[in-house]
Amino acid sequence: MATQQVETGAAGHGAEPRGKRSDDGQATYLIAVAEALWEEMERDERVFMLGEDIGVYGGAFKVTEGFLDRFGPERVIDTPIAEETIVGMAVGAAMEGYRPVAEFQYADFMSSGFDEITTVLSRYYYRSGVPMPVVLRGPSGGGVRASNFHSVNPEPWFAYAGGIKIMCPAFPSDAKGLLKSAIRDDNPSLFLEHKALYRRIKEQVPEDPSVLVPISSADVKRAGEDVTIVTYGAMVHKALEAAETLATRGVSVEVVDLRTVYPMDEDTVLRSIEKTSRALVLYESFHFLGIGAEVASVIAERAFEHLDAPVMRLAPPNHPVPFSPPLEDAFLPQVADIEAAVDRLSAW
Amino acid sequence: MATTLRSDAAANDQPLADDQLRQMLATMKLARYVDERLEALYRQGRLPGAIYSGRGQEGTHVGVVSALRPGDSLFPTHRDLTAQLAKGLDLNRVLAQFWGRIDGYLRGRDGNSHIGDWDGNRTYAVMSHLPIAYPVAVGAAWAYQRAGDGRVALAICGDGATSNGRWHEAINWSSVERLPVVWVVNNNQFAYSTPNEKEFAVPTIAERGAAYGIPGVRVDGTDVLEVYRAAREAVDRARGGGGPSLIESVSLRWRGHAGHDPAKYVPGELLDHYTSSKDPVMNFEQHLRQLGLVDDDALAEMQREIEQRFEEAHAFALGSPFPEAGDVNKGMWVEDGYWRAEPGRGGGTEAS
Repeated sequence: MATQQVETGAAGHGAEPRGKRSDDGQATYLIAVAEALWEEMERDERVFMLGEDIGVYGGAFKVTEGFLDRFGPERVIDTPIAEETIVGMAVGAAMEGYRPVAEFQYADFMSSGFDEITTVLSRYYYRSGVPMPVVLRGPSGGGVRASNFHSVNPEPWFAYAGGIKIMCPAFPSDAKGLLKSAIRDDNPSLFLEHKALYRRIKEQVPEDPSVLVPISSADVKRAGEDVTIVTYGAMVHKALEAAETLATRGVSVEVVDLRTVYPMDEDTVLRSIEKTSRALVLYESFHFLGIGAEVASVIAERAFEHLDAPVMRLAPPNHPVPFSPPLEDAFLPQVADIEAAVDRLSAW
Repeated sequence: MATTLRSDAAANDQPLADDQLRQMLATMKLARYVDERLEALYRQGRLPGAIYSGRGQEGTHVGVVSALRPGDSLFPTHRDLTAQLAKGLDLNRVLAQFWGRIDGYLRGRDGNSHIGDWDGNRTYAVMSHLPIAYPVAVGAAWAYQRAGDGRVALAICGDGATSNGRWHEAINWSSVERLPVVWVVNNNQFAYSTPNEKEFAVPTIAERGAAYGIPGVRVDGTDVLEVYRAAREAVDRARGGGGPSLIESVSLRWRGHAGHDPAKYVPGELLDHYTSSKDPVMNFEQHLRQLGLVDDDALAEMQREIEQRFEEAHAFALGSPFPEAGDVNKGMWVEDGYWRAEPGRGGGTEAS
């Protein structure tokens, strides 16, 4: 899948205009997200959006620029800074038949709505049978020097709650297709857009509004024979970069992109492990109890007889994301770290 | 705050018919009886789970719900079973819920007064983290406003929940958007063991309405008609596009926070005062006697019907099977169809 550098990272404050597809039809990750929202708003009158500064301002990252003019203030709602009520409002509207898409300015601030997410949204259906077609979306992840309150990977907090489907796409096409699936799904979804990818990568993205990417389906982004890297989000791109280098040294790496981290597509992961017999689990959420900890458990439980080496994990420590560039670079797994980890696995 | 019942229900712009007044009394007496019986079953060690008595607060519950129409939604707390009964929940299914049976409204997925019947009676399934339903009521009210269908959301919380940030968030938002919602605070004077003076420093909760630019009234929660009149005014205002209102309805929690709590922190004189002269059920009964709407015979018949109704419902609940243990992992996702199909009834009626 073609990727290229088009801009530097959003630096956490992406007030630049959203932009358009390039002449050859390529779209950035950010444009792909915006297209998904636009198409689903066009398709279904019940879909509406709410969030802080999404209307007049067009969103902190300009994902929703132009939506207010097209869809009006009834369907593009600028809210007070009240995250618990953003979630609760979405729940109440969903209970009355609407399909809300709530933007969090940064996924970090999902913790300000924690109780309504984990106590109400994630549990209401199991308790009562009332569907909750709610999407919570926002930019997550580090690597853009946004420091620890604008760089969180919150997916483990909410995966643990159960009842919420959690997507962390790495590519524009996946972002578009998965977000459309999430909006059409009758269950709650958490859609995490990696902010370092918003403007950094572009690719050919389907223009047909009916093209979806199924939830809970992983995708092999690079086929290989020797070692499997299971990853998601921005780390997919680092894994692919490492795989390219490793190939020149004769190590064939398969990269499995989870795309949806919960519920997880275990079968695609296991099929890859059966082929390579070596697993590196690479993830940007914290090492201890992060998403990769669960992936490692699944592999150990279900593919033990196929393994030629212990399952290895590579992830940041359970620390705040530091600001200063050398600190953040040391905190996040880098391409060289991935190569070294693959070498250690290969040595078994 | 009025302390005596107004004898003239017709003073209200929307007078209640005699039958409605009798029905309100019957609901209050039924709720009182259910409350007492559930407490007895709990103390006998028979009833699983917990109980949260609403005794002494029937005036608040029946007063506010009587101002609602069937399509309006109610967002109650665990203390508000009386309000849910007034909204129309079937006592058979309520008691089945308390016993953890498949015919309970939540199929045994949740218990006791953590109950709700959204599809039928538009009541929200109660959650503990109060006022956790206040933000959700914002969304329902937004939906009614957008649809322009004249419906109203009414949310209840206790005095304790007014200290929580969501109370502010939700009321503020509803005020900004002038949503059709009524915010009710059942001020029963104690948040578990914590008295009002340790919860807020202003004299009343009602006056906080001014901070949001919405009407706030404080009423005697032991006077069901006073509560009704305030609720009716607020509901009509919301229905007519006039935005939200805040009602503080003051009574006393006669029992502990939950069944295990003897509530020794409530001053004895205060409790005696309320139970002897501010019993919402007895006072309303007396009022209807004075109006000539009930007499000894009618009241005896009403009580007989209530007790018979309870026995029927209790028998129904105990005859309802437990959920099948094999279904424990179903109904987490819409696509498995569990909630759209009739559940299995092979769970038996004997607890393991």
